[in-house]
Amino acid sequence: MTTETAVDPGTVRRSANVGPRRRGWVFHACMAPLTLLWVAPMVFVLAVAFRSFDDIAARGLGALPASFSLDGFSTALSEGAIGRALANSAVVTVIGVVATLFLASLAAFALSRHAIPFSRTILLTMLAGNLLPPQILLIPVSSITQSLGIYDSLFALIVVQVGFGLGFYTFVLHGFMRSIPNEVLEAAVVDGAGSARIYARIVLPLCRPALAALAALATTWIFNDLIWALTVLRTETKFPITVALLNLQGGFVSNWNVVASGAVLAAIPTAVVFFAFQKHFVSGLLVGANK
Amino acid sequence: MSTTDLSRRRFLAGSAAIGLSGALGGCVGSGGSNDGGGGGGGESAGSSGPLTLQSSAADPQPKAALKAVVDTFDGPETTINTVAVENFRAQLPTYLTSENPPDVLTWYAGSVARDYASEGLLLDVSELWEGDGACAGFSDALRELSTTEDGTQIFVPTHYYWWGVFHRRSAFDQWGIQAPETWDDFLALCETLLGQGITPLTMGTGSTPWMSSGWFDYLNLRINGPEFHLALLSGEHSFDSAEVRAVMDEYAKLIPFIDPNGRSYSWQEAVTPLVQNKAAMYLVGAFFTESVPSDVVDDIDFFRVPIIDDSLPLAEEAPTDGYFAASRTDNPAGAKELMSHLAAPESQEVYVAKAGGAFLPTSTDVDTSGFSPMIQKGITLLEESDQLTQFFNRDSSDELQTTADTALTRFLDQPDQVDDILAQWQQAAEQVFQG
Amino acid sequence: MSSTQVATPETSSHDGRQPVRAGRRWRRVPPLVWVFLLVPLAVELAWVFWPALNSFSLSLTKWNGVGAAEPVGLDNYRRMFDDPIVRTAVTNTVIWIVVFGGLSVLIGLGLAVALNRPRRGVGLYRSAIYLPMVFALAVTGLFWRVLYQPGGTVNSALENIGLDGVARQWLADPDTALYAVLVAAIWRQVGYIMVLYLAGLKGCDPSLEEAAAVDGASAWQRFRYVVFPQLRGVNTVVFAITVIDSLRTFDIVWAMTRGGPYNSSQLLSTYMFEQGFTALNLGYSSALAVVIFVLAIGFIITYLVRATRED
Repeated sequence: MTTETAVDPGTVRRSANVGPRRRGWVFHACMAPLTLLWVAPMVFVLAVAFRSFDDIAARGLGALPASFSLDGFSTALSEGAIGRALANSAVVTVIGVVATLFLASLAAFALSRHAIPFSRTILLTMLAGNLLPPQILLIPVSSITQSLGIYDSLFALIVVQVGFGLGFYTFVLHGFMRSIPNEVLEAAVVDGAGSARIYARIVLPLCRPALAALAALATTWIFNDLIWALTVLRTETKFPITVALLNLQGGFVSNWNVVASGAVLAAIPTAVVFFAFQKHFVSGLLVGANK
Repeated sequence: MSTTDLSRRRFLAGSAAIGLSGALGGCVGSGGSNDGGGGGGGESAGSSGPLTLQSSAADPQPKAALKAVVDTFDGPETTINTVAVENFRAQLPTYLTSENPPDVLTWYAGSVARDYASEGLLLDVSELWEGDGACAGFSDALRELSTTEDGTQIFVPTHYYWWGVFHRRSAFDQWGIQAPETWDDFLALCETLLGQGITPLTMGTGSTPWMSSGWFDYLNLRINGPEFHLALLSGEHSFDSAEVRAVMDEYAKLIPFIDPNGRSYSWQEAVTPLVQNKAAMYLVGAFFTESVPSDVVDDIDFFRVPIIDDSLPLAEEAPTDGYFAASRTDNPAGAKELMSHLAAPESQEVYVAKAGGAFLPTSTDVDTSGFSPMIQKGITLLEESDQLTQFFNRDSSDELQTTADTALTRFLDQPDQVDDILAQWQQAAEQVFQG
Repeated sequence: MSSTQVATPETSSHDGRQPVRAGRRWRRVPPLVWVFLLVPLAVELAWVFWPALNSFSLSLTKWNGVGAAEPVGLDNYRRMFDDPIVRTAVTNTVIWIVVFGGLSVLIGLGLAVALNRPRRGVGLYRSAIYLPMVFALAVTGLFWRVLYQPGGTVNSALENIGLDGVARQWLADPDTALYAVLVAAIWRQVGYIMVLYLAGLKGCDPSLEEAAAVDGASAWQRFRYVVFPQLRGVNTVVFAITVIDSLRTFDIVWAMTRGGPYNSSQLLSTYMFEQGFTALNLGYSSALAVVIFVLAIGFIITYLVRATRED
């Protein structure tokens, strides 16, 4: 198995060359329209974002743009305070992602590398917790944050995100850590390294691809969350981008250019994260599962 | 009852303790514990503490108007917190029950406010209604609207508006038509317009399905009278009764005249066909002028929903907006001070002038002589009526409104299913009244 | 502590491919490792399981969020049987899981296979199809509401290609509302599933497929019997993500139809939210949440237990 993987790159290249080149135009004839269809809604929203309100009001939403205006963006940024909301989202997302992955990696390390009794049950229970419909938790979570005195703070949102995300990340990291060859760790044990050092010096660095992939995934989940933010926040200045957008839509109901501009601004950070992480995005996620 | 409450509280408190240790232990190094303490609040002392005004006015003009009013408040420092109305509605119970609630909140007078008051969540503001208090000079109708069963006042009304059939004066002139006097005239007018290729009525029941209750309320008021209407909304009559059936038969006559695209629109989007002269009339509250382009506002006129049975008392919908305060506020004196300021004639004047919608001030001290002719006409309309109602949800509850939305939007699509629709409506309503 | 671990290194070298069993040889679990496990576990217990239990207890009460909760036993569950909207919502939820899960996986897998081999333009296609994923569901809902408007792009496009008859008010028509929302949700999900399968396909052993080709297996046979079995690990991840996303399906329906028109696109999750937050029937809404939970957890557990056992 391992020796076969060693020659993999060569075989891949060969099979690609053997592949039916002349059917290329069929492939493009199918893919190009499909891709256009896929991109069309986004292009349309971009077009709306750059149209002026008067143009939309006079000629309708579906019409081809006849104006170019940045009013939508400037209104979204000033009235909708989209900039502040993006900053809030960034704080919650960065701290949330780091804290969740840190805790999940600790749990995964304990479960995958040690003889914890009932480890599979614990792992599946944690995953099941992540699969709970969030709606079931809304009402109690709101009460809990209040009795802790952290209701209406970004801290509460972070804690909730961390608690709610843990199960899935632990599950994936567990799969990944299990695939780390035992010899690597046992050498360290022979050297007398304790669990903390094994975790920090060996396991964590080896998990970098999985952590990167999960970080990208967690970023989209936390950044795009709406329901938790609605549950634990009530102050306008603390709203993350999704709630701010909803507010913006509530205030600018027929000003589609403003709403579309807000939506475009909200999508930029996740788009950047995705393209930056694209290379090792999902591969890390699958190493554990693929074995 | 109270023991259940206590045990539930303890239940949550226990979970909180675990949560705290878990959460703080978990976020080592993120400096989270400081944040947590800071969010807690409760340390703001006396009547000097800052105030929070939780506002549902998210539309640009009302938002700016409220800000202008609060800017002139010289009491405790006040922060306005604007949350779009749908979320505001959903979160209102959370706001009021929280340990550190917003001090003053925008909302509606009527049964909704009384509900919260009966739970002990609203601050008694009776002193504002006595002596030289800010609301002392308000009308008896407003006083009654702001009073709970036990006779205390919990609401400060600051403005209200009327409902009517709005249209563009220039369009009516252009088409050579006039505001109808009788119900038959109205139906005939719709028929004529339809024949000319003009949509007689616009109505946005897509993302604002509650708009469909406008016609229901009015037809019920005109056919069965305000007494029956209010009794129906408080569960004393059945939605599958012959009286309601008569209302629906009349409503069915309107359906062919209503813009079918309205099913996809919000009330704001439904304004566009009216402005573009594609639709002729719109039964809506006077607040809608905030969505009318400023160069068209002066062209807007309205007429009363025609009388159907003149033996009945003449009723109009006049929803009242204003403020209440949370009983758990840290700063009750400051909250009352702010509410007094919001209710003061000068503040009302500023708000009404800037909010964009055609709002009427509740204070009799506001000089209304400078208001536009349309607003003057609105004041006259309400003065001429025998009784004022609020609106479906404000006269009942948001929950009953949901049943009406379902029944009426389905009715607009399938008028021939009326019996089935009313039976289901009644079933859903019973569920609501059983609570 | 380390002495017990050192005692067994020579046996573990030849079963290095089964690290879990090898790990058991570390018999005693150091206290620090327990801390490693228990801290995250405590956070999840406090913020997920404890609130969930609270919801279970709330589901046996009548409560409007204010004042005291009144215990009513199983009344809330009994009420569901008479509630026609629950029936619609259950049907729609099942449709949602099957169509959303099924189509996004099928299309995603199909595109992954089509775009697996490197050739000109593939990168562009992949990026374009993935891009919708970066939008929040609520934002996606906003986009598509605009597209579906009566004068919006979808209808204009249909008219331009001569299909005027098909044009309709997609979100206001009870026959199409749910599917209109589904299209938007799938549009966003497909790219994501595709990227997962692309990564999975990269991990497949091409020599096996070539050997099968030499043996005369058709393209379909090679995929079905050679490639697909190698994707089992990916399938688990795809399944977990699909289920998580299906259960999180709330934002997009809420943003597009709010369950309307007249409840025709109501899912259990949106109906639960409406009952809880608009009508303030927190007891009834908690009971609905419990039903969602039971439905979901049932088949998730079945699947995951099977999947992990096969490992």
